[in-house]
Amino acid sequence: MDVPIEYFVLLSMALFSIGLFGILTRRNALLFLMSVEIMVNAANVNLIAFAFYHGNLTGQVFALFAMALAAAEVAIGLGIVLVLYRNFRDVDVTVPTTMRW
Amino acid sequence: MEGLFDYAPAIALFPLAAFVIALAFGPKLPKKGAIPGIVATGGSLLLSLAMLAAVAGGEEGYYHETLFTWAAGDAAGEIGTDAIEFTFGILIDPLAALMLVIVSLVAFLVHVFSLEYMNAEGETGLPRYYAGLGLFTFSMLAFVYADNLLMAFMFFELVGLCSFLLIGFWFRTRSAPSAAKKAFLVTRFGDYFFLIGVVAIAATFGTVQFAGEDSFVAAAAAAIDDGGQLFGFDAETWVTITGLLVLGGVIGKSAQFPLHTWLPDAMEGPTTVSALIHAATMVAAGVYLVARMFGYYALSPTALAIIAFVGGFTALFAATMGVVKDDIKQVLAYSTISQYGYMMLGLGVGGYVAGVFHLMNHAFFKALLFLGSGAVIVLMHHEQDMWKMGGLKDKAPVTYYTFLAGALALAGIVPFSGFWSKDEILYDALIVGLEQPLIMAAYAMGLIAVFFTGFYTFRMVFLTFHGEPRTETAEDPHSVGWAIKAPLLVLGVLATVAGLANLAPVAKLTGAEISFLEYWLDGEYGGLEALTYHSYHETVPFEEGAIGSETTTMLLGAGLSLGLALAGAFTAHALYNVPSPTRHTEKLGGAYDVLRSNYYQDEYQVWLAEGLTLPVARAADRFDQTVIDGAVDGVSSVSLFGGDRVKRIQSGIVTNYAALLVAGFIALLIVLGFLGGWFL
Amino acid sequence: MMIEALLAVTLVGALVTFVAPNRIAGKLAFAISLLPAGLGLWLFSAFDGSGNALLEGELAFESRVEWIQIGEYTVSWFVGLDGISLPLVVLTTILCTLAIVSSWTPIDDRESQFYGLVLFIEANLIGVFAALDFFVWFIFWEAVLIPMYLLIGIWGGPRRKYAAIKFFVYTNVASLLMFGAFIVLVFSLGDAVTSFALPEIATAMLEGGPEAFMGVAGSTIAAAVFVAMFVGFAVKVPVVPFHTWLPDAHVEAPTPASVLLAGVLLKMGTYALLRFNFTMFPEQAEAFAVPIAAIAVISVIYGAMLALAQTDLKRIVAYSSVSSMGYVILGLIAYTQFGVGGATFQMVSHGLISGLMFMAVGVIYNATHTRMVTDMSGMADRMPVAVGILVAGAFGYMGLPLMSGFFGEYAIFFGSFGSGRLPYSQVFTPLAMFGIVIVAGYLLFALQRTVFGPYHLETDYDVGRAPLHDVAPMFVLLAIIIALGVAPELIFEMITDAVDPILENGGEL
Repeated sequence: MDVPIEYFVLLSMALFSIGLFGILTRRNALLFLMSVEIMVNAANVNLIAFAFYHGNLTGQVFALFAMALAAAEVAIGLGIVLVLYRNFRDVDVTVPTTMRW
Repeated sequence: MEGLFDYAPAIALFPLAAFVIALAFGPKLPKKGAIPGIVATGGSLLLSLAMLAAVAGGEEGYYHETLFTWAAGDAAGEIGTDAIEFTFGILIDPLAALMLVIVSLVAFLVHVFSLEYMNAEGETGLPRYYAGLGLFTFSMLAFVYADNLLMAFMFFELVGLCSFLLIGFWFRTRSAPSAAKKAFLVTRFGDYFFLIGVVAIAATFGTVQFAGEDSFVAAAAAAIDDGGQLFGFDAETWVTITGLLVLGGVIGKSAQFPLHTWLPDAMEGPTTVSALIHAATMVAAGVYLVARMFGYYALSPTALAIIAFVGGFTALFAATMGVVKDDIKQVLAYSTISQYGYMMLGLGVGGYVAGVFHLMNHAFFKALLFLGSGAVIVLMHHEQDMWKMGGLKDKAPVTYYTFLAGALALAGIVPFSGFWSKDEILYDALIVGLEQPLIMAAYAMGLIAVFFTGFYTFRMVFLTFHGEPRTETAEDPHSVGWAIKAPLLVLGVLATVAGLANLAPVAKLTGAEISFLEYWLDGEYGGLEALTYHSYHETVPFEEGAIGSETTTMLLGAGLSLGLALAGAFTAHALYNVPSPTRHTEKLGGAYDVLRSNYYQDEYQVWLAEGLTLPVARAADRFDQTVIDGAVDGVSSVSLFGGDRVKRIQSGIVTNYAALLVAGFIALLIVLGFLGGWFL
Repeated sequence: MMIEALLAVTLVGALVTFVAPNRIAGKLAFAISLLPAGLGLWLFSAFDGSGNALLEGELAFESRVEWIQIGEYTVSWFVGLDGISLPLVVLTTILCTLAIVSSWTPIDDRESQFYGLVLFIEANLIGVFAALDFFVWFIFWEAVLIPMYLLIGIWGGPRRKYAAIKFFVYTNVASLLMFGAFIVLVFSLGDAVTSFALPEIATAMLEGGPEAFMGVAGSTIAAAVFVAMFVGFAVKVPVVPFHTWLPDAHVEAPTPASVLLAGVLLKMGTYALLRFNFTMFPEQAEAFAVPIAAIAVISVIYGAMLALAQTDLKRIVAYSSVSSMGYVILGLIAYTQFGVGGATFQMVSHGLISGLMFMAVGVIYNATHTRMVTDMSGMADRMPVAVGILVAGAFGYMGLPLMSGFFGEYAIFFGSFGSGRLPYSQVFTPLAMFGIVIVAGYLLFALQRTVFGPYHLETDYDVGRAPLHDVAPMFVLLAIIIALGVAPELIFEMITDAVDPILENGGEL
């Protein structure tokens, strides 16, 4: 079980980059939401890994909070996506731009 | 007798009460406010007569009492004390007592006259009219017995307000409000200088009292003796400057050149108001002020010479314009300007008694003439053009003979009152003029004006009353009642005999002691030493000359002026006292146009107001709207424009925001990296 | 505790009015506003202070409670009145009551909110004049803007949004400048001050002045702060060239808001100038005397010229306020008892007279629905009483003797003419005095065209006599104006008493 910390960081970076790539390229709101979740989980991986590395539980507790938060966020996010669909008959995030100014 | 003085405040307060009553209850009163007005002015007249008696019969012979302090404070004056008090007070000396009687008498008669003149014709707004008369009388009476310059200024201004209200009485016409505005504005322009004068005198001497130990006159005399500097000027120069500033107000109110233009227009008001304005109140206020603070002007030969010159010039200038007018009231208006010019001339040459004497006589005969013209206007069913009259002599004898008495007095025909006072003024001007070329010029102008006065006066009389009636209304005039005739008779008698008050030439010839007015103003019956004629006479810095002996000079002057007046009258007789007179004005050629247009004085003043000031104001407004407000709006539009550009970053597309976020993060990383030395 | 009671009554009244039904809001607000008005008069009669509030005078109705601590500085609830602020407080309470009555006719929409806001503004105005701690004062000062913004923005004329925003932003930016300058001043005074109490700051300013701060010399800071605060307050006054918000705000504001704006809000600026600039910075005021006097003269003449060019009655009165406020600045900079005292008197007097003028114009507007001079003539024929009061008010504005305006102007002119502090005062004073001719010109011109002449009206309305409740407040104002004109000592005595200590610091006494 002696995996060096670098691998966790690399994993987290990879996840984060995938999520970021998804946000920058995808137009579908659901995929958008998923990408955001991936990025959150990248952070979680980091938190747990470093908690393990330091030998205390702070990071893990944080990760738990972050997961709870992510769940709430998904709930709201999905709600927004539904409203989006109802109003615009589409889940493309580039369509609703009327709220900008 | 001294105890009577305690009632002095009531003299002015009676008409004020009449004003309040007319304003508040006028519409419900039987004569719409006339009765309270008559009662109040009658009361004032009786009290004023009592003051006259109290001055003559009292121990001290004057009354000087501070009523209450208007404002007090500290002020570092150029000289004088550090504390200054502005008060309301009463000063009744021979001059004030005389003027009180004149004002309240004329006001009383005008009120009586109004009973028929105004009330008869179903006029609306009569409470306003009587309230205005009451306020007018109040202001003037309070002005007359004001014991300090500031109080005098305040009531001087109120007089201006009342003239505005009364000249604009027929506000539903277009011309009356315009004339009222002009009257107030032009006199305000003069009052502007007056106010500077008041402020300057108060700031210089720390007092604005007319009389007493701490009067500004005494302080000024002391300052001139000390030979110090006041506000960086010689004391005498400063006295001249402040005196001339105050004179600005006088020139405005007494309609002297160049601020006379309001007065002919003021004929838009009811004729009764004209009588009051011209004889006893507004216009008289200016000259009275000069007499009131004569001690101050006496300190400055320059100021006196300017007063004399302005007076002489105005006398002639206005008289020439009176020659060509067709409207009976216009002729009288120009005669007023001219006559006040004489008074200024008289005062300016140090002829204090002569000036005041003429002020008194003029009050009587001008009130008479105006009320007489009012009667004519009633006779003629509100026709004022003299060419539409004629032949009224037989149909309205009372009006005619009283009017004639006034006309003879105005023209200065012996023995009517105007002759005595005008002659005295011209005599005083002549003896000073023999030593002073400038005053000689003023005298010459005054003398020439006598001819024109005789001419226009009798032109008016002949056109109105003589010859054949030229219109149907003139053939069958409206009748007039006692309320019109009684004041005319009273004034007719006064205009005839008022000269008896001061028969100076007769006194000099016979040695009889009959120049009563001179003794009166000289404090022989009581008065303040510093405010007496001989005290003034000592101060006035003019030398007096004579042609041969004093008597010769006097007789020469009197003969000259009487001759000129008669010449004028006979010229008028020759030209206009014919059954069907015709206009002779075309013989004047180009001069007629100039006279008819009043020397284009109105034109340039209207141009100053409407041709110059208004465009400048509009230009200022444009400047304000474009440049100043433009700068303000510019700041806001720059902000708005900037915001409008910057907001375009907000595309509304979430992906773009995320990209910006990432780009920003990377940029931050690179910057921090460079600064942290990672890439080195 | 009387000031707290005054504020509490007014604020509670504002809340009550806010939730009251629209139908009764006007009458209710009037009834409530009688309380502060009565209380104000009681304060006036029970006034026992002496001296200047900032300069160790005896305060009347003083109360001081420590409130919060900001860093090294203590903020206290500190209120009290002296001879300068008391007349202004009384003016505020009376004018608000009358403004409420005068709104019965024109305001017919969301009445409860309108009257609630008027009472709210009243409370804040009282606070501005009574507060003696900068922090408390500034809260009131800023809080005045909000209700006025709403009054203009909701009940105003066609361009109300533009006017309201302009008013709010302009005066708020000016406040920011002033606030910044004041904070710099407090910091640069260093250890000499430990609170925001104005008397303490004034004492520190007069005894030591600012120290060098962030590398800038103390005298430079004092000069810069003086200029910044002057500009900040000048916008409020307003003086040329910071005046352009005023006509727009006045024209668009409903009549009662105009009454309060001209009557009291403008006085906040001159009051603050007197309290801050001219009390705390006598030396700087002397150094800047000539430019300030020049600004005053320009305000008088230029403002009057602008008024001459207008054809909207409200704009005429609005610009004439610029002109009248110029006199106040001239009186203040003269640093004589009559100058500064007259300026303070003129604040009160102008509040009364301009309030009267706006009410009178409002009554005519209620009947004709136009304010353009060109649209009407001969109004005196149809509404004699209202026009009579308008004429009286106009003459009051022109400085007719025996009305309060004359005393204010005369005292200012007299005070400034003889001032030894103001160079060229014998030139500046006559120049400024020419304003009395122009003011007569434009007011008489406007009167001649609107109220006199044959009756004519462009708009299609039936004009009759104004109702009693429109005219009654104007009668009250007229009575006060005449009373103060006949006996200015009624308030001038307490004003000079409060002004004297200011003059002892380098002025002339």
